Amino acid sequence: MKNKAIRICLVAMALYLILGVAFYFIAGDSLHATANSIETVTAKASLGEFTAGEKIRQSFVCEFDELTSISLLVGTNARENNDMILVEILDENGQAVIEPIRMATAKLKDNTAYTVVFPTPITEARGQRFVLQLTSRYGAPKNAICFYYGNSVDTGRFDFNTQIDEADALCVYEGDKFVPFKDTEGNICQLCLSLNGTDNHWFGKYYWFLYAGGALLLLLGLAYQYLCFQKGKKTLILSVALSIQKYSFLIRQLVSRDFKSKYKRSVLGMLWSFLNPLLTMSIQYVVFSTIFKSTIPNFIIYLLTGIICFNFFSEATSMCLVSIIGNASLINKVYVPKYIYPFSRTISSGINLLLSLVPLLIMLLITRTPITPAILLLPFALLMLFFLSYGVGLLLATMMVFFRDTQFLWNIFSMLLMYMTPIFYPDTIIPDRFMSIYKLNPLYHVIRFMRSILIDGVSLEPKAYLYCAVLCLIPFLIGLVVFRKNEDKFVLNI
Amino acid sequence: MMIKAENITVCYRMANDKIQSIKEYLVALLKRKLKYDEFRALQDVSFEIEKGEVIGIVGSNGAGKSTLLKVISGILRPTTGSVTLEGNVVPMLELGSGFDFDLSGRENIFLNGAILGYSEKFLKEKYDEIVEFSELGEFIDIPVRNYSSGMIMRLAFSIASQVVPDILIVDEILAVGDAAFQEKSYARMMELMSHGTTVLLVSHNIDQVRRLCDRVIWLDHGKVVAIGETEELCDAYMKTQQR
Repeated sequence: MKNKAIRICLVAMALYLILGVAFYFIAGDSLHATANSIETVTAKASLGEFTAGEKIRQSFVCEFDELTSISLLVGTNARENNDMILVEILDENGQAVIEPIRMATAKLKDNTAYTVVFPTPITEARGQRFVLQLTSRYGAPKNAICFYYGNSVDTGRFDFNTQIDEADALCVYEGDKFVPFKDTEGNICQLCLSLNGTDNHWFGKYYWFLYAGGALLLLLGLAYQYLCFQKGKKTLILSVALSIQKYSFLIRQLVSRDFKSKYKRSVLGMLWSFLNPLLTMSIQYVVFSTIFKSTIPNFIIYLLTGIICFNFFSEATSMCLVSIIGNASLINKVYVPKYIYPFSRTISSGINLLLSLVPLLIMLLITRTPITPAILLLPFALLMLFFLSYGVGLLLATMMVFFRDTQFLWNIFSMLLMYMTPIFYPDTIIPDRFMSIYKLNPLYHVIRFMRSILIDGVSLEPKAYLYCAVLCLIPFLIGLVVFRKNEDKFVLNI
Repeated sequence: MMIKAENITVCYRMANDKIQSIKEYLVALLKRKLKYDEFRALQDVSFEIEKGEVIGIVGSNGAGKSTLLKVISGILRPTTGSVTLEGNVVPMLELGSGFDFDLSGRENIFLNGAILGYSEKFLKEKYDEIVEFSELGEFIDIPVRNYSSGMIMRLAFSIASQVVPDILIVDEILAVGDAAFQEKSYARMMELMSHGTTVLLVSHNIDQVRRLCDRVIWLDHGKVVAIGETEELCDAYMKTQQR
């Protein structure tokens, strides 16, 4: 027993040390900085041939910590143009911030974005106003490229005319000064342009300090737990560890019962765990890709991730909901810690979730989505989802004992939650002013996290981990406290 | 000291109507009709039981006997007071309550055993013995929903009586099944009780209590009427019953 305790402590410590290092390399650059990109407007029309002597200016406010490049939408009129465009970035006072870049136009492709990378990124750029100035050197009629302008933003299904500020207007050089460019309807317009930059995170910079600090805390914590264990004093963590050990056999039996009785007398049995998410995905895929014309890239994986997560959450919570009243006969006759019942139900749904990752993996391979080491971060999202579901399950199980209306209310609420979670639509359709409420949904963060590592193959910024963990663990703690406070009254009410 | 019960009181809050939905609750709250009647299932019950004693609990219906057993097995937490126990408790309150009727007898042995707190190793060792004792033979692999009630009781008793507990809590289950099995299970009960096990036995069969018990706790309306020698108390109890 004593040796075992020491072994557990050592394993915990080793796990922390290994996972901490592994995490640093798997999460990679996104711990230090995340790449961001902002597009201005959707192309509406061309500015016409950009010939020698012409100059245009586009002012913009940088929203990144560092500005690394800009992409310009260019048209070549389907021919080779031998011009040289001077790209300059000026600050508000008209001083050059970077060395002017010469952009040769000979090899440009028609109607594509050309990225101009700065020799050195512009640092400390956040919130600053810059001016992009483009000048043609040798452009002549029939030997010049053109740029595009617009005054609307594409949000997937509709174009929204945007109110462009005087300060953000595209200006052309006329006579001896720059004047705002107006389209045929007299509207102020913007140059079609996207700004690319990075946001820096302090987390990556101080990662190893935090890592060492965490190791120290863990060491002290383990030492404290071990001392308590030797003295026979009970701490929360210790009693959790002991009861997991004591009741692991029971939990295994209850989980296997859930599985056996779920698939008993069905022909396909376990296969349903694979088929269910796939079939749901197929239906929604057909509906949303043909009827609603979704423009989300890699929509199959996008959908499947959302469906799998939400299915687990809804299955686990609704199974937890009835776990106490459903086991009334047992609770009345034998003493077993009551949190075991919702726990075993969440575990069985969790196994279902793991099984449904198999079709997800197959779809990843079929759609040729590149699989990167970032996929190793998946357990974090799954663990958070597990805590969230268990916590909500505990809360619901408690409420269900006292108020049987809970099950009907929960049916409605989980439907509401389904529409409040970006399962089949992109989160960009949510208006900005609702976004802060929308982001309170823990499922949003978990699903966003999973999509980032599966579809984009990169980890999200460090803040995303924090949001994910906090929003999932708060419901868990609330559920746990409410359950523990009321569990003694269950016997009298079921 | 094996069991020490100090001033156990169990109160049930009985709302004048059983409120089970939020609507009913709110309506009652608004009408200020949310009164509770307190019902004391047990009042200030204290006793001590030494190791190896066989204690009978007698009393008429609703005296609080089953509530007392539930409190001692840890199923119900007393409103006030405390119970201290030494050693493992096996409650035989209602046999087969943990059975899943869709699973086979074999699967139920493991499920029910786990619920009773047996370890996996122990169950694997005892598996053959359980099947043999229950006399189920080849029926062990068919779902329990196809069992007769006698078969279910036999299997449940076989699982529950596998371990020799420190404290055995029994609520009227001394005999299950047909005559032959009743005899067999009775013998098994005697065997369990003879290993120095502390036994708490609730029974309406006074002859059985006289035969088995060292001491008797007599409960009436949640209160202890008397604790004492078997013969004496049984006589006194029978007198009140005959009247």
